[in-house]
Amino acid sequence: MRGPRTTVERLDQPSAYFVNRNKRRRFDGKDQRDADDDVNMQPDQPEDDPLKDATTLYVGNLSFYTTEEQVYELFSKCGEIKRLVMGLDRIKKTPCGFCFVEYYTYQDALDCMKYIGGTKLDERIIRTDPDPGFIEGRQYGRGRSGGQVRDEYREDFDEGRGGVGRAVQQQRVRDRERQDNDDDYGRLR
Amino acid sequence: MADHDRRHGGGSSYNPKKRRYREDDDFDRRGPPRHQQQRRFDAPPHVRVRKQLIAIAENPMRPWHDEAQAIATLFTDNWDDELLRANFVDLVLQLAVEQPLKTPFTAAVVLLANVARPEVVDLLLGKLAGLVEGGIRAGEWRAVKMYLKLLGCLQGCLEGEGVFPVLEELFARAVDLQTASSEDTIGTEIVKIILLTLPYVMVAAPGQWQQKAADLMEKTEIIASEPHTLQALVEPYHPESGEDNTAPSQSLIGVLQTQLQNEANNGWELACLPRPWELPLGEVEQQSKLDSAAKHALPTITVPETVVAGSRPLFPEVFFSVYQNQEVESVPPITSAASCLIRDALVDTINVLHINRNITARHLIDLDCYFAPRTFTARATPFDKIRDIEPPKSSWKPEDVAVDAVFSQLFQLPNAEHKLVYYHSVLTEACKLAPAAIAPSLGRAIRYLYRNSQRLDYELTNRFMDWFAHHLSNFGFTWKWTEWVDDVELPDIDPRKAFIRGAIDKEIRLSFAQRIKNTLPDPYKELISPDKEKDVPDFKFADDDTPFAAEGREIAALLKRKAPDEEIDAVIQRIQSLAIDRDLDALVASTDVFVTCVLHVGSKSLSHVLAAIERTKDRLADAGAASDAARGQIISATMAYWSAHPGVAVSIIEKLLNYSILTPATVINWALVARAGATRGEALATAHIYELVFNTVVKVTTRIRQLALKPTPTPTPTPTPQPDTAAAAAPENAPATLDAEVTSMRALFGAIEDALVSWAAGSKDEMMEASDGDGDGDGDGDGEHERLVRRWGERWLRVFRRRAAIEEAFLVEAARERARRAAEDEGEDEAAAAAGGAAGKGVEGQEMVVEGEGA
Repeated sequence: MRGPRTTVERLDQPSAYFVNRNKRRRFDGKDQRDADDDVNMQPDQPEDDPLKDATTLYVGNLSFYTTEEQVYELFSKCGEIKRLVMGLDRIKKTPCGFCFVEYYTYQDALDCMKYIGGTKLDERIIRTDPDPGFIEGRQYGRGRSGGQVRDEYREDFDEGRGGVGRAVQQQRVRDRERQDNDDDYGRLR
Repeated sequence: MADHDRRHGGGSSYNPKKRRYREDDDFDRRGPPRHQQQRRFDAPPHVRVRKQLIAIAENPMRPWHDEAQAIATLFTDNWDDELLRANFVDLVLQLAVEQPLKTPFTAAVVLLANVARPEVVDLLLGKLAGLVEGGIRAGEWRAVKMYLKLLGCLQGCLEGEGVFPVLEELFARAVDLQTASSEDTIGTEIVKIILLTLPYVMVAAPGQWQQKAADLMEKTEIIASEPHTLQALVEPYHPESGEDNTAPSQSLIGVLQTQLQNEANNGWELACLPRPWELPLGEVEQQSKLDSAAKHALPTITVPETVVAGSRPLFPEVFFSVYQNQEVESVPPITSAASCLIRDALVDTINVLHINRNITARHLIDLDCYFAPRTFTARATPFDKIRDIEPPKSSWKPEDVAVDAVFSQLFQLPNAEHKLVYYHSVLTEACKLAPAAIAPSLGRAIRYLYRNSQRLDYELTNRFMDWFAHHLSNFGFTWKWTEWVDDVELPDIDPRKAFIRGAIDKEIRLSFAQRIKNTLPDPYKELISPDKEKDVPDFKFADDDTPFAAEGREIAALLKRKAPDEEIDAVIQRIQSLAIDRDLDALVASTDVFVTCVLHVGSKSLSHVLAAIERTKDRLADAGAASDAARGQIISATMAYWSAHPGVAVSIIEKLLNYSILTPATVINWALVARAGATRGEALATAHIYELVFNTVVKVTTRIRQLALKPTPTPTPTPTPQPDTAAAAAPENAPATLDAEVTSMRALFGAIEDALVSWAAGSKDEMMEASDGDGDGDGDGDGEHERLVRRWGERWLRVFRRRAAIEEAFLVEAARERARRAAEDEGEDEAAAAAGGAAGKGVEGQEMVVEGEGA
């Protein structure tokens, strides 16, 4: 199906995240020199490509307040949705800004990459990435404080995703306390 | 080739992080960026040629002939580079079908290369002829058209009559097909291709082929001027019977034929087409070399005796524009060949570049780069300003032309080529790239469509509504709602009011009520009921005045704690006996309570309700199976519970259909008979009722299409390991299920037809009663109401009659295809018997030609 390289980039390709993670896995323990050849090995890859007929998409950069119904409304434009799993904060069990959308067909998932990834939902640009399929447990954030890792150390204030990162928030609280302590300390002297 | 390029060009093959870091490093060192410079000049010729050829004509500051000459020289100077030689030809061919706006420019490069290295043209023509032939055999008509366009641009370097024999051969097939059947669409398509190739031939070799062209057009006239039998299926407007300006849209080939006739009368001026092979006066020498360069024979292109429709169903086309009849001409008028030629190149661009909507949008914004200078006004010229443009100068706004082309595809009947959301995304990206230019054009398009929403086919009105809400959701929901504020006062059954209500509902579904309320002027806010702002709908059994309130609360509690079936059974029994006492339909009463409770328990989100349905699906199925009325009540209860959020109700009903708790017929009957009846027809003006019916029909027809294609699966790149066993098992089973499904699909369309005919004819009991009942008081109002309801009936009827017709056409085509495949298999078996295992290879080889098209 994959013909010669197209003259424009395709939007239905997996992101560097997945490709790299896979590559890392595949070449784990191998001699580094082998990795250089991996470009030439590509024609053999499709055999065990976990994304070959992937019908699931990872959807990222959602607002914490975006509901399932909103996701349904937008993503149904590419085909009927078989299953939708909202990403949850591991501790609070509230939405934490990502989800998995599963379609009935591979084509619908590809079309979604092309037509919906990078457009807005709930006034945020969302990200889509093909995914080998949902596994129980993956709905939870893997960050230290329960949310997504990317929200842990984020320094910009993002209203839709709980302000600044939690680690950053805590750091700031600590800084402030220390400052207060310092002040007290100084006064006592 | 691909691998090689990637390593040098993209730089993404190995660790991108490291690479980026190194580049930063380069900039930090104050000296000359040595590495960078080296890299740039190091790029081997085939990489540079590829890069430059792909980007050809994109830079408006660079004269076309300069650019083409530079690429041609780079190419011919490195003729000995074998990789480059092979890549060049393939790339020119690939660009022809991937970026059709650039075809004249790549053709110019080929023509210039022909001066120094005539061999390249032979190389190209060999492959090109093969691709045209393969395309014709496979029925890939758009690819054929795009390759012929390239060939047409090369007419100047072809021996003898060049492209004309191919066009004539194609025409002969078209005549055969058209005489054989008035419903033939392949012949129509072929004529379209001939007419769209001709202009490129005429500008590529000016002044030479006028007689030939005239002869050909005399022939096409007969087919082009005849209105097509199937044109009604694609007509975008559906005017009311009494309306005056009811001239139907003109067929595309009819329009083209007339336009080209005008061009022929004016010596084929074709002012809009680019002629990059015409060098400026200063380059007389080069021009004469170009003109006297070697001519080449076009290899024979055989057109098979029987041609096929290919993978895309063909329909006649009409010319659709949202900028027609403006007081100032902002797009080429329908009398000018520019309208069809530019549209054709844009539409091809849009439909082939679905793999990257950003590039599509870029091409649309840059479209003035690909046509003759002065074809358009400056980009982003405000509409008010084009009024002042004096005649010889063009008043065509490139943005309007681009937007018009996208809408022509979004509003293509019976179906758009891609999912509709693709066209949404193209408009979104275009609007992001050039908001100041595109947004006002979209605004005028929206106003046109809104003004004409009652004349537009109802399916298209709904596509418009869906796009409109989705588009606004990408741009902060800003729209000048104030200009329609008077229409808020209209009755709900008025088409404009129906549009407003539907659009606002769709906006809320993508966002939330409070947000949308804030974007609307006051009068609209009343359209958003307070119920829409509640997180969870009210549970009617919480109110003791509701019949069966206690029982309802009891069942909800039982469901919540996942109580065993018997406990629920007991309450249901009680409801049923109470209902009988009260003279109610017992099944309906208990179904209503039970369904409402399931919905209440799952009210938190769709996942919750789906889980609740999953747990209770047996009981729901039993309730549905008990009686028609109970089945209908499942829908009534769902719609009632989620009345503030009909989108949720529609999703739930879709899932209930998947579980076979509901049947498609129940949905149709509930919507078009029960619901429409209860509202005196007003339900027909409600967008989500249409959505419900339309989705149900699509669900049924999609399934049938899958079944119809199943016996012989479409060729996939992975060869089926044991074709005989798979093929032997399927055909025996499949037709039986298919036949059964087709019968029920026909029954479904029959039911839709019956229900809608009576609404359209005004013979519905509910309508008769209404007009009989209070004919004394406000008779006018009722007459108006009745007229509007009838009109809605007509509009619905047309949509679903068309659906039924195209499904029937599909079934005929699918049966033909199955027969063809079967015959092929048989032939293959015979051949296999004769020649051992060689036959399988033959078929594979044939497919290779089809697939290798882009090569």
